[in-house]
Amino acid sequence: MFKKTHPLQSKSEIILRNIVVAAMVIFFSVFLIIPIGIAFAGSFHEWNPLSGTYNFLGLENYKDVFTSGLFGKSMLNTLIFSVVVIIFRVGLGLGIAYAIYSTLIKYKSFFRAVYYMPVVTPMVAVAFVWKFMYNPQIGTINQIFGLDVNWLMNPKTALIAVMLMTIWKDFGYAVVMYMAGLYSLPADALEAAKVDGANAWQTFRYITLPLLKPMTLFVVINSIIAYIQAYVQILIMTEGGPGTATYLASYIIYDEAFVKYNFGYASALSFVLFVITAVFSWLSFRVSGTEE
Amino acid sequence: MKKKMLAAMMAAVLAVTGLAGCGGSTEKKEAEEKTEAKADVPKEPFGDTIKYDLTVEINDGKDISIELWEWGSDDLFQQVIDGYTAIHPNVSIKLVNNPWEDYWTKLPLALDGEKGPAIFNIHNSYHENLINYLAPLDIPLEDLQADFTGVDAHVIDGNVYYIDYGMMTGSVYYNKKMWEEAGLTDEDIPKTWDEMREVAKKLTIKDGDKLIQAGLNFNDDFHQNYLLGLNYQLGENLFQEDGKTPNVNSDAMKQVMQMLVDMYETDGVGSKDFGEKGSDSFGQGQSAMVIQWGHFYNTLNTTWSDIDFGVFEIPTFDGEPYAYNRYNGESTFGVNKNAPADQQAVAQDFVKYFLANDDAQVAFNLAMSTFPAKKSLADNEKILENPSLKVLSEHIDHYIWPGPMPSTVETSLKKAGQDIFFNGVDIETALDEAQENIIKDMKNSSFESVENLYAYAK
Amino acid sequence: MRRKISSIALNILLLMLGVITVYPFVWMLCSSFKKNSEIMALEQHLLPQEFILDNYVNMNAHFNFLRFFINSLVVTLVVTVLVVYTSTLCGFVLSKYKFKGRNLIFGFVLSTMMVPWCVTIIPKYSMIQSFGWMDSYKALIIPAMFSGFGIFMMKQHISSLPDEILEAARIDGANEFYIFQRIVFPMSKNGISSIAIFQFLWTWEDFLWPYLVINTQEKQLLAVGLKMFNGQYSTDYGALFAATAISIIPVLLIYLFFQKQFIAGIAASAVKG
Repeated sequence: MFKKTHPLQSKSEIILRNIVVAAMVIFFSVFLIIPIGIAFAGSFHEWNPLSGTYNFLGLENYKDVFTSGLFGKSMLNTLIFSVVVIIFRVGLGLGIAYAIYSTLIKYKSFFRAVYYMPVVTPMVAVAFVWKFMYNPQIGTINQIFGLDVNWLMNPKTALIAVMLMTIWKDFGYAVVMYMAGLYSLPADALEAAKVDGANAWQTFRYITLPLLKPMTLFVVINSIIAYIQAYVQILIMTEGGPGTATYLASYIIYDEAFVKYNFGYASALSFVLFVITAVFSWLSFRVSGTEE
Repeated sequence: MKKKMLAAMMAAVLAVTGLAGCGGSTEKKEAEEKTEAKADVPKEPFGDTIKYDLTVEINDGKDISIELWEWGSDDLFQQVIDGYTAIHPNVSIKLVNNPWEDYWTKLPLALDGEKGPAIFNIHNSYHENLINYLAPLDIPLEDLQADFTGVDAHVIDGNVYYIDYGMMTGSVYYNKKMWEEAGLTDEDIPKTWDEMREVAKKLTIKDGDKLIQAGLNFNDDFHQNYLLGLNYQLGENLFQEDGKTPNVNSDAMKQVMQMLVDMYETDGVGSKDFGEKGSDSFGQGQSAMVIQWGHFYNTLNTTWSDIDFGVFEIPTFDGEPYAYNRYNGESTFGVNKNAPADQQAVAQDFVKYFLANDDAQVAFNLAMSTFPAKKSLADNEKILENPSLKVLSEHIDHYIWPGPMPSTVETSLKKAGQDIFFNGVDIETALDEAQENIIKDMKNSSFESVENLYAYAK
Repeated sequence: MRRKISSIALNILLLMLGVITVYPFVWMLCSSFKKNSEIMALEQHLLPQEFILDNYVNMNAHFNFLRFFINSLVVTLVVTVLVVYTSTLCGFVLSKYKFKGRNLIFGFVLSTMMVPWCVTIIPKYSMIQSFGWMDSYKALIIPAMFSGFGIFMMKQHISSLPDEILEAARIDGANEFYIFQRIVFPMSKNGISSIAIFQFLWTWEDFLWPYLVINTQEKQLLAVGLKMFNGQYSTDYGALFAATAISIIPVLLIYLFFQKQFIAGIAASAVKG
């Protein structure tokens, strides 16, 4: 790696580098660091931007976060939600991508396009459509399967129903990601496996899968970031109900910030969530054993 | 193949957008014609105590333009604006429509700056977020009190920032066809809850254990239509005497909650799983009765126009309630105190015009199905033609407003009800939890109940 | 023969999954031609019993659909082009230049992706207000000019370009600007199309920020218009579905057009992480 360091840096390189680095630093400082700083300071205050309240509280907000039963419950929900949806997203994505990639399927771009449709549709509209489909009396799901389940109001099924919808909306993203991964596999490795007489499953298990690890990591980390921040589906489909059965961490933040205008508390929640996101992302790096 | 498909899709896009474009142009033309037809300017000053004098020039006759922010029906607001600008051609008022939910995020943020709208629609559930940006109304308190009911509840340190133009509350809506099929007549209209429960049983149709038609349905809105209102019938306020501590785990509230549970689980006149929302279920022709607030009248007439329905007054426990039900006001406009002085002056004048103008008052009340707060309109013909308003007219003074309650009161009770019905929590625990939650959320609230201002307050 | 059977079986399986994927869209599209009472009716039929175009025709009663559509298209295209350019440039500098603090900056860029949006939105709003950018597209475009995700993707992508080509150009006396414009940029075509698609989709969908900073009706964006159907007491489902159906068309088209490059681009960016 080191040998490629340029012995001499040209003048134009230094200029370009300085401009770009300066632009990045300025941009991210203004539009991220400063707002984060303001929010971080706010997390130690009783802060309501509408009534103009801004009183120092010390660690009170953080104490509230950690003693709040609702936050604990919603963190557990978020964990279940994220893990289940990520497993299905990755599993389905990989399976379907592999199927499309195989020589058995002819209309590849047709399937790719079909599975990608939910990804490009706004969550708001999708959530309304699914809310109709889950309706106990007129919903498609009960009608097709001849069931009589109040999907979104039964504490046993509500979170599952929301997860199902999220998997439906997002698996196409993983399909496309894995398609990309599969197309860029080195042909010689697969060829070598064939020559060695490996069957299809062995090739997949011992060659393809390990080679796709970086892509899996990419999908998993993107998903962690996205799902820890998920709230729109909850807002539209259950409002956290029945009772508090489907509260997700981000839904509390949304509720505290934009319904109750408790900005201090919402900021404290956000920072706790930020740390948790970072820890989980780091963990997935560690588990996958990749450096950097 | 792919190219062809794309071409077809493009064509479809063009066709649809073209279509939308056409729709727009005809729409506009109609609107223009409407304004032309409406250009008859009144000659005389009008109004009751609050008089609108047409001869006073606005902004010294110089051109001025202000913004009015609202959610909901543009036509309704535009009519009032057109009437106003016909008198004052130098004023132009720009209407800005917003989606209801997000209006409350955006408006306070906009008012915090210098470029906020001079005048905007208010809903009292967001009182606390707006009150710091409001200018007091430029109309003497006595005049407001003389013309409108419920003004006292809006007085803050001697000033009034907005009042209600109408009062919305709940009544029972029933499906006339089902009523007849069950062999019921007008004689059977229940006055008490016991009678109501009997009628509901008669209206319920079951196939074995399976519910076919619910006699009564309160799914998804029981908190708003029962819990926060029937407590008054039992003589219990929603807030304790200090006006700040909630009173939602009172015996009265428990009794109401127990009645709801009994209606579904003992009487079997409905089910928590039968119809996602009581209101929709009524519209779908699946439930025979619902208690709904005034806005439901409009929903029935627009979305569910096939349903032949009647309305009757909410039943009581003993015929002599402390108050029949809670009501909530639909508010008049607010004036932005940070707007430039000349814009504020126009805004103030516009509010005055709106309050003095009976046509506007009637139009707004009918649009929202609210009972007019303007005293002179209580027996207005057009108002009484609306059955959901007619049933209120007899006892309208026996409805009570607790003040602009923070939304946590509603949401906490909704959660409590869901916990009871769906999560198997007992009534006592659930209501205690709601009480605790509300106290926590209201820790920093400046809300104070105005239940003590109710005309028959104890 | 066995191959043929498994091919058919797999095709059928994928097709069934495809039906499940598409069904909600078909339902939405059909519902957009129904009256609200029919959408919610007890008797459900997939096809409209009474076919109406009102939801589409009336779209202009709620908002100037065509205008919003064009606004959205312009803003989204501008943001996408800018993000593509800045991401490629930053990716180039971060991957091909060695300098002190490089990893620090890159690590920082990565962590920006994890900040929940609700943390920064209010301070950002007050900032835009004090800059006097309210109600102008500056507020939509400038804060979106750099993207942590884009920089990350492009850094991964460009680091896979062989250094030899750049060196050869340097020896020929090309300066760095020339190298970036004429060599790196064209060679990152695939990475660029994947960033472009992601960014286009995000900007196209983004609702809250444009809603907060744009006041004038004529300047408003399409995603904001979609929310207009959510009323105080009810939602106009038919109109919502109609507007959604139309609003996803551009994104689908872009995806269909650039599908190949998109996938190739992701392949180059993410796999070689």
